[in-house]
Amino acid sequence: MAKIIVVTSGKGGVGKTTSSAALSTGLALAGNKTVVIDFDVGLRNLDLIMGCERRVVYDFVNVINKEATLKQALIKDKRTDNLFILPASQTRDKDALTIEGVQAVLDELKKDFDFIICDSPAGIEQGAQMALYFADEAIVVTNPEVSSVRDSDRILGILQSKSLRAEKGESVKEHLLLTRYNPTRVESAEMLSVADVEEILAIPLLGVIPESEAVLKASNQGQPVILDSEANAGQAYADAVKRLLGEEVPHRFLEAEKKGFFKRLLGGK
Amino acid sequence: MTETCFRMKGTTLTSIVLEVIDFEVDKFEAQLTQKIASAPQFFTRSSLILQLLKPLSATEFELLVAMCKRLHLQPMAVKGEVAELKPIINDLGLADVSQSKFTDSALKSQRSEANTNSTPTENEKSNVVQTTETSPQSNAVQPTPSAPVSALKPAKVVSRPVRSGQQIYAQGCDLVVTASVSEGAEVLADGNIHVYGTLRGRALAGVKGNNNARVFCQSLDAELVSIAGQFIMHESVKGDCWKKPAQIYLEEETLRIAPLS
Repeated sequence: MAKIIVVTSGKGGVGKTTSSAALSTGLALAGNKTVVIDFDVGLRNLDLIMGCERRVVYDFVNVINKEATLKQALIKDKRTDNLFILPASQTRDKDALTIEGVQAVLDELKKDFDFIICDSPAGIEQGAQMALYFADEAIVVTNPEVSSVRDSDRILGILQSKSLRAEKGESVKEHLLLTRYNPTRVESAEMLSVADVEEILAIPLLGVIPESEAVLKASNQGQPVILDSEANAGQAYADAVKRLLGEEVPHRFLEAEKKGFFKRLLGGK
Repeated sequence: MTETCFRMKGTTLTSIVLEVIDFEVDKFEAQLTQKIASAPQFFTRSSLILQLLKPLSATEFELLVAMCKRLHLQPMAVKGEVAELKPIINDLGLADVSQSKFTDSALKSQRSEANTNSTPTENEKSNVVQTTETSPQSNAVQPTPSAPVSALKPAKVVSRPVRSGQQIYAQGCDLVVTASVSEGAEVLADGNIHVYGTLRGRALAGVKGNNNARVFCQSLDAELVSIAGQFIMHESVKGDCWKKPAQIYLEEETLRIAPLS
């Protein structure tokens, strides 16, 4: 039975799309047939991060409007087997998403896939609500700063009141993914700590992704950062995928690295 | 066309119940006088319900009513063991409220209490029907809540965190949250609010004007706390009880924050 997981945050720019790309790649690498859907209609970023922007012919809205079949719109990832991308339309807006339309697409995808990852747009309006409405689980991406935590809290409230599961009296399983974590800045009290965020949001921690230059580099190259097994961020995403699949993995990269003299000289954060 | 001369309305009022456990004129008067002397302002001209826990003779009853009036109490109704006294109750212009809904259960609980009472010297006690904190009876028996059981509406219990942007209202009852209330969330109740977690959002108790409503929380970090319309903001909440278990209540029109435990 396919699992629908929404990657959401409320606030923009916290790393939803980066996380969607990394986690879906990780799930596919682990042998699960995975599709990642870009719900950010009108902006369309996922295909860039996944490095398939030049292969987009039909999109999510075309499928909803029955202008294309799902098979035509799905893009098979070139690097990773079992991974497919359903890109967003850049020429439409979020009103193009309807409950019936989204449901029809998801129902069809459920037949073939193990995991359906919904990359939510920022905000709490139509687009974000559509992305989370059919979710079984939610990964709430949060940066360790107060406004991001507040928005995550808001989206958690919406998840438990406006999703299909909530309407049926069931609950959506919640995961906290803390991104752009910088232990050095936490130590100097410039950033909230993992414990602070966990205390406020009170949901299980899926992973902590350290702030890393590898993320920006990966995005610009159109290659999910999880494929960069040298980078802290890549390893942290790989751990998060294992936890998502039920494995118990200790959290890493929570402490500031003690840099040696040469490393400090040569830079690198 | 005739104009309306009156209107009939229902009302509930708080009054004192004088339970008569044993009536020996001299002893009774001595103890009642002493009790009134402990808070003359509270008792003077306060209306009174006489509750007879044992039957009195017509003469004894007349003496009791006369004594009350002499001590500036205003008996207005009678309940309890009044079967034999109906004519004299009428003559004295009192009401017989034995048939009121709450009498039976209240009587039962008080009777058993009277039987098991370990301090038999207290053969008189005043009992404020709607238990109020302002009762001056510092050394008296704890007031027993004799409010009708049927009027108790179960508290609304919320076991998930109340998130930013959510609003929860417990209408006509208490609200119990067994998790935290986030910043930007709002919890309201006609009764008390209990938060077994951190209260970071807004809590408004007694929103329909109940001055006795209180807010209790395990950790006080609130944006705003209000009791019956009186409120304090975040800045004033900060103090000795900041991020500690606390309760907030109204004391003579002023909000008080007191530590718990």
